[in-house]
Amino acid sequence: MLLFRSEEHVDRWCKVWKMEQGAILTLDQQWHLAQAWYSPDRRNPLWRRKTVDETEVALAAAGLTGPFWNVRPPA
Amino acid sequence: MNQSTDDLDRRVRRLVYDVTLRRGTPPTLAATADGLDTSPQQIAASFQRLAAGRVFVLAPDSGEILMANPFSAVPTPFLVEFEDYACYGNCIWDAMGTVAMRGRDARIKTSCGDCGAPMELRIVSQALHSGHGVAHYALPARRWWDDIVFN
Repeated sequence: MLLFRSEEHVDRWCKVWKMEQGAILTLDQQWHLAQAWYSPDRRNPLWRRKTVDETEVALAAAGLTGPFWNVRPPA
Repeated sequence: MNQSTDDLDRRVRRLVYDVTLRRGTPPTLAATADGLDTSPQQIAASFQRLAAGRVFVLAPDSGEILMANPFSAVPTPFLVEFEDYACYGNCIWDAMGTVAMRGRDARIKTSCGDCGAPMELRIVSQALHSGHGVAHYALPARRWWDDIVFN
């Protein structure tokens, strides 16, 4: 997950590396996701990784839905 | 997993994040063993279990912690400057994650993945204060852990 100056720079990077463009997030979306993911205190004995359902909720709350953000294991 | 390994793993996780949040880098295996008065072999096994549970990422040869997410044990292109120390995130998500985790103001210094131009973001009072740009996720979510070091 890299930071770029603009979508044009992402396009150029993808061409150089011969990669298809993935997903582009605004900084607000990225910050929202970082807060949702990392705010829970990992020192807490009750902390555990998010379940698939919880991950979907966190992604959706940042506006990240659709096939690219599907975290469910293949059936 | 039995109760004793479960309990050890919880204590290891607590100590590792306690140290990491205090100074910005995770402790070594030996320091963790010292801190918990436990053998290095037991700590190495605990690190492996926590890595299997995707809590840590370990260096393949040494078994030391490479990532105590969102913190990196080694320098990366994502420098995070707090008032009391500087540390490294594993990617832009994790760089912001260190700030979210600590709940303190910070400056993230990185560069454009394409042209290398310096970029800086400031987070103040848990809000994005300044900075421009976009984050790019090359791999779909389901593949993030295929190669987490690349990703």
